[in-house]
Amino acid sequence: MSAPAPRRAAPPPARERDSEEWWQALARHELLLQRCDACAALRWPARALCNRCGALAWSWQRASGRGRVASWIVNRHEFGSGPESPYVVLYVRLDEQDDLLLPGGFAGPADGAGLAVGRALVAEFEDLAAPAGEPPLALLRWRLARA
Amino acid sequence: MRERAGIVGVGYTGFSKNSGVSTLTLALRAIRAALDDAGLSLGDVDGVATHRVGDSVPAGVVAHSLGIQDLRYHLDVFGGGSAACAIVASAAMAVASGAAECVVCWRALNARSEFRMGGTGRAAPDAVEFQYQAPYGLATPPQLFALVARAWMDATGASEEDLGHVAIAERRWAADNERAMMRSPLDLDAYLASRFIAEPLRLYDCCLETDAGVALVVTSAERARALRQPPVLIRAAAHGGGHNLYSNRRGDLTRSGAALLAPRLFAAAGIERSDVDLALLYDAYTPLVLMQLEDYGFCARGASGSFVRAGETALGGALPVNTHGGFLSEGYAHGLNHVAEGVAQLRGSCGARQVAGAELALVTSQPGYVSGLSSALILGRGGR
Repeated sequence: MSAPAPRRAAPPPARERDSEEWWQALARHELLLQRCDACAALRWPARALCNRCGALAWSWQRASGRGRVASWIVNRHEFGSGPESPYVVLYVRLDEQDDLLLPGGFAGPADGAGLAVGRALVAEFEDLAAPAGEPPLALLRWRLARA
Repeated sequence: MRERAGIVGVGYTGFSKNSGVSTLTLALRAIRAALDDAGLSLGDVDGVATHRVGDSVPAGVVAHSLGIQDLRYHLDVFGGGSAACAIVASAAMAVASGAAECVVCWRALNARSEFRMGGTGRAAPDAVEFQYQAPYGLATPPQLFALVARAWMDATGASEEDLGHVAIAERRWAADNERAMMRSPLDLDAYLASRFIAEPLRLYDCCLETDAGVALVVTSAERARALRQPPVLIRAAAHGGGHNLYSNRRGDLTRSGAALLAPRLFAAAGIERSDVDLALLYDAYTPLVLMQLEDYGFCARGASGSFVRAGETALGGALPVNTHGGFLSEGYAHGLNHVAEGVAQLRGSCGARQVAGAELALVTSQPGYVSGLSSALILGRGGR
């Protein structure tokens, strides 16, 4: 696993009642998706309702941790919080389903060298130092899949 | 509600980097200017409508400050660039329904000196998805729109020069707009030399952080025809959705909400797209202009860059766009300055930048990204 990167005051996730279990799982290095119990469609982020069939019943399912680059930025401006610039933020399309898009960090060059839309990625987990008394935290970092 | 309501007054404060006054004062000054423009007085106002993102005075405080005794309509929307046309549309509906007779719409913000969109002085956005992006340093609009831009450029083949020509074309318009904050010429070398904010977006791809107040007065079409200014009527309005960047049964990041909204809007107006004489397109970032040229159907997919480069969005072009210089060069009042410019063009009062014979203007709000919300108007010159 990657060592925690040095960070300035990047805000910790403002986890809430819908997302708490997802963040707990991420801290265990599990990337979870919701699967509709009625129509089996996958969804993320956590929502109470399937927006395909309307069913309320769902279960967690572990994702493969494989995806592709949907987009990325190389941040160059200091906005006051977050990692030191330059840094990459990825938008990843999960292999499981076309509309599962999620942001993440990049375990690669800070200038994004090697990235292209459609490039295959593999999820890694980056442990963050949680403040005393707070639950453990991890974030997603993606590396380029070996060709 | 076609041509049931009109915009009879527009008012501005100056656009600046530091207004030196509160958002309440900006709102009151802009509203007063709009009422003066319309030839109306405080006592005529019975409705208020604004939008804000936790950065401006509440509508109720403004209504009290205007001295409205029997407030018949109010709207105080949480929203930024997606909401500007929507509040005008809602005010028009309030007038058309008879709920109110005269609604003032405004946006007042100190977006440079107090509450910068980049984060300074600002609380976290009221969006549940923010928790999933902020820990990665993805927290501000230019970063989010840079993500959209990258995907769209990859899908359409648009180049960084294509983005640059949008900024250059808008700056050219701004030279003839004395309100504009940025009027000196911009060329491609200067554009390409400007620093990156979040690749692929450079400084000159981004709108100006601005302190400003802009207000409009909406009343019935019948009354609009009787007031002092040439009547400008709301021919049609449409609300829409869009891609909030998260799972929404939308796998394609590169089609904006405008693609769904546009056919409804033109149908509601009873016009063809080719009837539009000018467009005020939401331009917080240059790629949004190109995307909307395509998604509103003025250009084929992938053809918007060459359209701008050929001068088609300039004076005398096929579709003059952002004739005031837009958010990139006039200033970023979040959208109502687009509506106000549309009104001025249809009045024929734009001087050197006037689009000859302008009768129909498309005005758009943000085409649905991030917020998942969009809106747009068709304004038309009305007969007496």
